[in-house]
Amino acid sequence: MLVLSRKAGETIWIGEDIEIVISEVKGEQVKIAIKAPRSIDIIRGELRQDVSASNSESVITNLDLFKNKL
Amino acid sequence: MKIQTAYFGEVEIDPSKILNFEYGIPGFEEEKEFVLLPIEENDIFQVLQSVQTEGLAFSVTNPYSITTDYSFDLEEATVHALHIKEENEVAVFAIVSLKETLALSTINLKAPIVLNTTNNKAKQVILNREEYTIRHLISSESAKG
Repeated sequence: MLVLSRKAGETIWIGEDIEIVISEVKGEQVKIAIKAPRSIDIIRGELRQDVSASNSESVITNLDLFKNKL
Repeated sequence: MKIQTAYFGEVEIDPSKILNFEYGIPGFEEEKEFVLLPIEENDIFQVLQSVQTEGLAFSVTNPYSITTDYSFDLEEATVHALHIKEENEVAVFAIVSLKETLALSTINLKAPIVLNTTNNKAKQVILNREEYTIRHLISSESAKG
């Protein structure tokens, strides 16, 4: 994984059309501004992680629920 | 073609019915192909079965069969990824996490599966909406009547 050190106000470009701006650094929190085409999904990591966990929990282990109903 | 399924044994499927998830779904990024299989004598739920992994299956439903109060705008990223041209080619499913009873089961309204029925491209999208949760209790809907 590429690791870069940046200060507030500095930027990073990814490819030709994604710009990441470190807009503010305050204590433990970093504010990041992202300029990207609307065709790119931008999702908070913990939200994606939770969807991933939910998907793993949702793998069917049995279909008894439906059998019992019949 | 024939595939091995988690609950229905060997099943003959029509390759043109395979749903293509270009990037898999979160947690299952390598699973790019699924098929929808009916559950006998159950019109509400279907099984979303992985084509390549026999043991991997989810139960899905039309979210509107659980809650009538559900709507979201398709993000440009989804329209782009699934090559959606018209609203009427879009179908939406939600993954249901089955528990001991249906009332205890939850439905993921935060991350529905959007399908382009014209080309069978599909994607689990994550909505930027606070009112929809990943583990929405199905019983909370029946309580509403």
